[in-house]
Amino acid sequence: MKRTYAYFPGCSAKSTCSELDLSTHAVAALFDVSLIELENPGCTGAREFRAISEQLHLTANGRILALAERNGCDLVAVCDTCLLNLTETNRRLKEDSEARDAVNRALAAEGLVYRGAIEVKHFLWVLTEDLGEESLRARVVRPLRSLRAAPFYGCHIQRPKSIYGEDGEDAPALDRLINVLGGEVVRYAGASKCCGFHVVNVDQKIAVRMSGSHLGNAVAGGAQCVVTPCPLCHTVFDAYQPSMERQSRDPQATPILHVSQLVGLAIGLSTEALGLSRHVVGCADVLAHIGYSRDRTGALPQLPA
Amino acid sequence: MSPSLKQTTEPDKVRLRIYRFDPAIDRAPRYDSYEVPHTPRMRIMDALDYVHETLAVDFGYRWLCGSKKCGTCAVNVNGSPKLACWEEAQPEMTIEPMDNMTVIRDLVTSRDPYEAFLAKLQPLVIRKREYSGFPEPLTEADVASAVHLRDCIQCLACQSVCPVLQQPDSGFAGPALLVALSELSQDPRDEGDRAKMAAKEAQVFKCVSCYECERVCPVEIPIVGEAIEPLKRLAYREKSTPGARRAGAFLDSVKKLGYVNPSEVALKTQGITWNGLRLAFRMALRGKIRLTDALFKRPSPGAETIKTTYDAGESR
Repeated sequence: MKRTYAYFPGCSAKSTCSELDLSTHAVAALFDVSLIELENPGCTGAREFRAISEQLHLTANGRILALAERNGCDLVAVCDTCLLNLTETNRRLKEDSEARDAVNRALAAEGLVYRGAIEVKHFLWVLTEDLGEESLRARVVRPLRSLRAAPFYGCHIQRPKSIYGEDGEDAPALDRLINVLGGEVVRYAGASKCCGFHVVNVDQKIAVRMSGSHLGNAVAGGAQCVVTPCPLCHTVFDAYQPSMERQSRDPQATPILHVSQLVGLAIGLSTEALGLSRHVVGCADVLAHIGYSRDRTGALPQLPA
Repeated sequence: MSPSLKQTTEPDKVRLRIYRFDPAIDRAPRYDSYEVPHTPRMRIMDALDYVHETLAVDFGYRWLCGSKKCGTCAVNVNGSPKLACWEEAQPEMTIEPMDNMTVIRDLVTSRDPYEAFLAKLQPLVIRKREYSGFPEPLTEADVASAVHLRDCIQCLACQSVCPVLQQPDSGFAGPALLVALSELSQDPRDEGDRAKMAAKEAQVFKCVSCYECERVCPVEIPIVGEAIEPLKRLAYREKSTPGARRAGAFLDSVKKLGYVNPSEVALKTQGITWNGLRLAFRMALRGKIRLTDALFKRPSPGAETIKTTYDAGESR
């Protein structure tokens, strides 16, 4: 069955983490999932619009929701912070007709309206819930050979509890996914903690110390890589990893993978299709562990045209 | 979630491992184990009381009201802060002082840093002129936006889990202090320069928005959305702080390009720094950015429309 979603990549996946956009499209295509990318969607505002004006925050996110609704399908995000902004706004606009009217007045000039007819979900949940573990498992051609992967959820896919409920913290989607792909979940203090991205421009030292301690715990727990559903967490752990190492004087060189890349590896996509060369910390050890180089001598499963 | 005593067969004992440390005489902290008879609807505090009254008279813990009002009895129970007077005792409990705080003795932690910081924020209604009548009129609408903030019992559970406060010398006030400051800033009678306090003293833009504080708040205050973000909106006017510069540069970028240009935002927030340059080269080497990105990127075709809509939304 073909599944169709409106797709909001977000600014990271279109710039500093373009490999996330690339690998998401590649994985979606193999699972017969159609992602309709929104045209000129603007931005959810990260934590910035809401620190300027609540109306701006609602308008920017309402605009994205309206564009998605025009396609008549649910909206998929690949960034935790985008996910929370869109989910919170969606709930607010569904429940509060005054807020919805105000947003729609701002949207009217470009002929947009949001009626509150769609849901927002993370691409991770499309994989684990909509497609389900069985269809994932059926596609695995290169099992991860017990690759020890440390899940790093990021804050905005599990908190606040007003959106995700009390148990958001224990949401095990990523753990389950790692297992289904043949990997081994590394348990460590830090999987559900904060990477510090939202202060990295304001006070880099704070963010680097926070994420450095999580990474240290993951490695001490035996992690060969970290996997995250959020490009902001990815940026801190990957691009700032040399700063963490300078601070802790402990070179770790731990590859950081996007969820779509980990899935892509297991279902046989090429490193080019997953953009694995676009990381600051190289992924050679992960590829060697899962026997990627030997696979290359045989035929790799091809992307559908 | 640990099993509730109500749902399982009621155990006749509660087993406790309690953190014991008197800095005046002990070289290092230790954990003492105690068994306490279980009683129906037993609270954590009932177990602590039993230990103190029966097994260890020198055991230090703090409480006052016993009814979720005074905020003095919060302790870590199996790793998470709880109000001892309000939460049910679990069959097995490791009880420790809350994190991010100096231990005075056993479970008693110092509130001094919190109170000293609070004093700096002048936690009272500041009036420039005396109000002639009494009492000052204050309607329900006047306090509506801050009504949840008034529920704060200053138990400091939020301060204990804040990851920014865990970093040495962060300069950040932390969630409990921001709740107090935000309440005052939303008080129509108050004429203090709360914007400056939020930006400079409390450094509100160092909040990472992780929502850990909301997770543990026993009175369920929406701390990020109703206390911290209103303060950020005030502090945004203090353009001299990096946080306000970042927010402004972010919005400018989206209005100009139709999407955000992270390189430009970083440059406008931090200026040119060694760290920034090193990072830019590192990322450029892997094709994550181009070195020219900070200075120029092409606008998306929808940039004009996006700006018009945002301006319309913002002005409402």
